[in-house]
Amino acid sequence: MKKFTRLSMLLSLAVVLNIIESVIPLFNGYIPGLKLGLANTVILFVLYIYSFKDALYVSILRVILVGILRTGIFSIAFSFSLGGAILSVIMMSLFKKLTKLSIIGISIIGSIFHSLGQIVVAIFLLENVNMFYYLPWLLLFSIPTGIIVGVISKELVNYFEKDLNFSH
Amino acid sequence: MNKKDLMLILIIALISISIIIGYRIFEKEGTKKALVYYENDLVLNIDLSINQERVYYVDGYNGKVKIIADEGKIKVDSENSPLHLCSKQGYISKSYETIVCLPNKVIIKIDTQEDLDAIVK
Repeated sequence: MKKFTRLSMLLSLAVVLNIIESVIPLFNGYIPGLKLGLANTVILFVLYIYSFKDALYVSILRVILVGILRTGIFSIAFSFSLGGAILSVIMMSLFKKLTKLSIIGISIIGSIFHSLGQIVVAIFLLENVNMFYYLPWLLLFSIPTGIIVGVISKELVNYFEKDLNFSH
Repeated sequence: MNKKDLMLILIIALISISIIIGYRIFEKEGTKKALVYYENDLVLNIDLSINQERVYYVDGYNGKVKIIADEGKIKVDSENSPLHLCSKQGYISKSYETIVCLPNKVIIKIDTQEDLDAIVK
């Protein structure tokens, strides 16, 4: 029950972070889809403190809630976010299990596959292969944004790992 | 941050920079046309080889989308959407660039047809 309450609080935090960062423009929209990805700090935190399943639920629910609050749930942008969010959580969990990357590396992986998932969905829905044009730019920017998000998550996880009761 | 993280960063930087350089090298030369789509239907076909600023209006999902074409480049000047991402994007000019106005369901692509002269050379 405690875990359930904590996860729902983390979920609302992710939604708020998501909405806050959508008001902060990076490079004035010159590269479409470029974002800091602050909500990923919450997803990473859940992945490290709880489990893959919990991270996936929080991530999907986050997209649905932001969809209802802002973009509309049947909009094309909603499908982009959902594709990106699901692929990113799956890949973060895989890389966490299979490689020795630290939380910062995992954060970069999440950022990369978030862009990749969105672009793949965009190509299918818009039938426009040109969308791949932005991939190298998004890849390049996933390094600084991934590091920022990773460092924040690292501090958070370190802080709460000492509190052994937290994950129960 | 450990060694593996640094390796990852290096690999990603290398891949993305080489793709960006690749774009520059393989860019096609020739006559440029801009194709404007609304919901995947072609609605406008604009010749970009004319050296004159032209204004077009396309019916988007949220109202009129104002498009400005000039020699070799095209942009969305104004449109009705929450974030105005596609009018902020500015001019595009290369054959691999695209303007996507999601809220308005409008897409602009650039199509380059290689000149016969260029092929003969």
